[in-house]
Amino acid sequence: MVSRPWILLIAITFTGLFFSCKKTQNEATVEKPTPYTIQVPRYFPNEMNIPSDNPMTVEGIALGRYLFYDGRISGRTHPDSMMSCASCHIQSHAFVCGIDNPNYPGGHPHGVTGIPTPDYMLSLCNLVWNQTGYLWNGSVYKNNPNTSKRNIEDLVWMGIVAPHEMHSDTLRAKALIQSVKGYPELFKKAFGSDRVTVKNMGRAIAQFVRTLISSDSRFDRYLNGELQLTPSEMDGFVLFVTEQGADCFHCHGGDGNPLFTTNLFYNNGKDSAFTANTHDRYYVTGNASDIGAYKAPSLRNIGFIAPYMHDGRFKTLDEVIDFYSSGLVWSPYISPLMHHISTHGVRLTPSEKADLKAFLLSLNDSSFITNPAFSKPVKFPDEP
Amino acid sequence: MKKNSQTHYEIQRPASNVLRLTFHFLIFLLLPSFLLLSSCQKTEKPTVVYPSPDTVTICFEHTVSGNPMITDSLIYTTSLGYHYMVNDLQYFISDLAFHYTNGNEIFVTDNDSIHYTDIGIPTSLKWNIIKSHLRTGYCDSVSFIFGLSEKKNRSKRFLNPPERDMFWPEFLGGGYHYMKLNLKYKSDTMMMLMPFMFHMGIGQIYNGTSTNADSITGYVQNYFKVRLPLSGFKFEEGKKKTLTIRMNIEKWFDGTETFDFSKYAMGIMQNEEGMSKAARNGENVFSIQ
Ligand code: HEC
Ligand code: HEC
Repeated sequence: MVSRPWILLIAITFTGLFFSCKKTQNEATVEKPTPYTIQVPRYFPNEMNIPSDNPMTVEGIALGRYLFYDGRISGRTHPDSMMSCASCHIQSHAFVCGIDNPNYPGGHPHGVTGIPTPDYMLSLCNLVWNQTGYLWNGSVYKNNPNTSKRNIEDLVWMGIVAPHEMHSDTLRAKALIQSVKGYPELFKKAFGSDRVTVKNMGRAIAQFVRTLISSDSRFDRYLNGELQLTPSEMDGFVLFVTEQGADCFHCHGGDGNPLFTTNLFYNNGKDSAFTANTHDRYYVTGNASDIGAYKAPSLRNIGFIAPYMHDGRFKTLDEVIDFYSSGLVWSPYISPLMHHISTHGVRLTPSEKADLKAFLLSLNDSSFITNPAFSKPVKFPDEP
Repeated sequence: MKKNSQTHYEIQRPASNVLRLTFHFLIFLLLPSFLLLSSCQKTEKPTVVYPSPDTVTICFEHTVSGNPMITDSLIYTTSLGYHYMVNDLQYFISDLAFHYTNGNEIFVTDNDSIHYTDIGIPTSLKWNIIKSHLRTGYCDSVSFIFGLSEKKNRSKRFLNPPERDMFWPEFLGGGYHYMKLNLKYKSDTMMMLMPFMFHMGIGQIYNGTSTNADSITGYVQNYFKVRLPLSGFKFEEGKKKTLTIRMNIEKWFDGTETFDFSKYAMGIMQNEEGMSKAARNGENVFSIQ
């Protein structure tokens, strides 16, 4: 017969064992948001740029998606003066405004008051893998001494106050969102408090932006062995990744880097002289070798995001290819990787140009621009 | 029997009670705490501990003619009279091994014995070796592979930057660049400073003079082994040790071979003749401090 103290002992031990390896669950009454894990596509980096104080959650992403599309984050309610991220970042154009945008002729956006953005647009795609810095010059980056310009979170307040974007103020923006029925509850679910703050607006939108992942182009399927590229696409791919071909891969990735960008900054030989400005890489680093350098953007979805380059100087891919083929100009600042400069470019024949273009278009991912999870929500929180 | 034992008990009562209480107390307290403590830990296999040094740090230094290399300045000249500046330098070394005077050879196992150096990334200029199985004792040399051996040079082994950006396209042999040395050069008769991509990796053999990927008939492994002598070098038990591997940049261009930039199309990654020349010079590019 087992004596009572022994039963007690066994009971205590096992209860102890049961609880000892688990985190204490006494906060069960406070609803915790549901953690969200990004599914890393094959061959994509497994290291992501997610700040430790803004983990991805299902509730945060859902809230971020509303805010991304809600013109009221500009602090205004008049239809003519409302502006959201999606006023410029439009899904059908892989989140640029598009060269055919009736509001922004030529694809050059401007803010609510008509002030044009200093540069043309960047697509919002696979940004969670950018470790070097956001914007054309990478001025929003990890470990920035200016702690308010470090990550996608910060681009939200920047967008709200920028004269060339929402031209508003953050107090107004958060007060308006606070007053919209439904939002306070969503903030509570995502961040534990129904008080709307610009910081939490930034966190939610950044979480949503980090889910904008493109990994389903024809080229991805080829890399995964699911389809064969056409002979022309294939020839274009060979040109893209060979030094004596078109030599694009040193800056734009390729089979070893399916992001199709290094997220690094180069002067790609467009101009021979440069004037001081606030948006090239030199402005950020102060190194003379960065004069006229900009981020080599990802070439994913390249067919959807015309016009091209930070200043939108090329309207079509053909113009871009002609430029790399024979339009390069020398300057002391040109990247050493533009090694075909002595012949003003890589000198492609018309059929090589067509092949290169066919390959570039194989990087278009139509499921990215139609993915319902990235689209405008059917209704906003205050709509019945 | 029963009765007897009870009587026996009764007699012993005062002392036995104290004992029993202590016993129970100990069991109640100790058993659960022991189980609790041990339950969350992984069981660690007892390992044999050999005397070994503490952290070993390898520093990477880059010089031109004995002086620390200065980037982006046109201040260097090769024996053929080319003025050049270095813009970027990124490279792998691997299979690092220490050779002991007693004949032992011990390979560093940290990071699968691969180190990436990038002069633009200060942290990459040091390699802290901690998990290695190095032993105490005298070493007479250190050796490594410049680049990556055929076995290690697998495509897509690095998915994260900065190593990822060293990838060498599959069509050209795959794997990774051993080195990207980006520079600009100019001869006295040239009007402008021209880029040159002194890149090394797997070479290709082409059928004829074309550099079209279709005409590749074979590949060449261009990595090579470097062995550098050490004198009076000793790993002492529990002690930190630092070693500096220096790349003497000028020797890439002036060594067994004299490298003539103008002979190549501003780069050599598709020119095995150029890369093999570079590799021959490379064997004497390193020294140790
Ligand atoms: C008026 C148009 C406009 C609005 C509104 C706008 N953006 Fe942008 N966005 C741009 C332009 C133009 C760029 C490129 C600017 C640059 O780099 O100088 C950009 C760049 C970005 C980038 C950097 C992408 C990269 O690859 O580095 C992110 C992220 C971004 N925007 C997010 C947002 C978010 C979030 C909002 C809403 C809060 C927003 N944008 C509102 C025009 C706009
Ligand atoms: C030295 C690095 C480098 C090389 C090599 C290079 N690019 Fe670029 N590319 C860049 C940079 C930097 C930009 C952005 C420049 C700017 O906006 O001013 C860019 C922009 C582009 C754009 C426009 C992207 C956009 O969103 O506006 C396309 C398309 C492009 N490159 C294609 C190519 C192709 C095709 C090749 C090979 C023929 C190539 N690039 C070679 C650095 C490079």
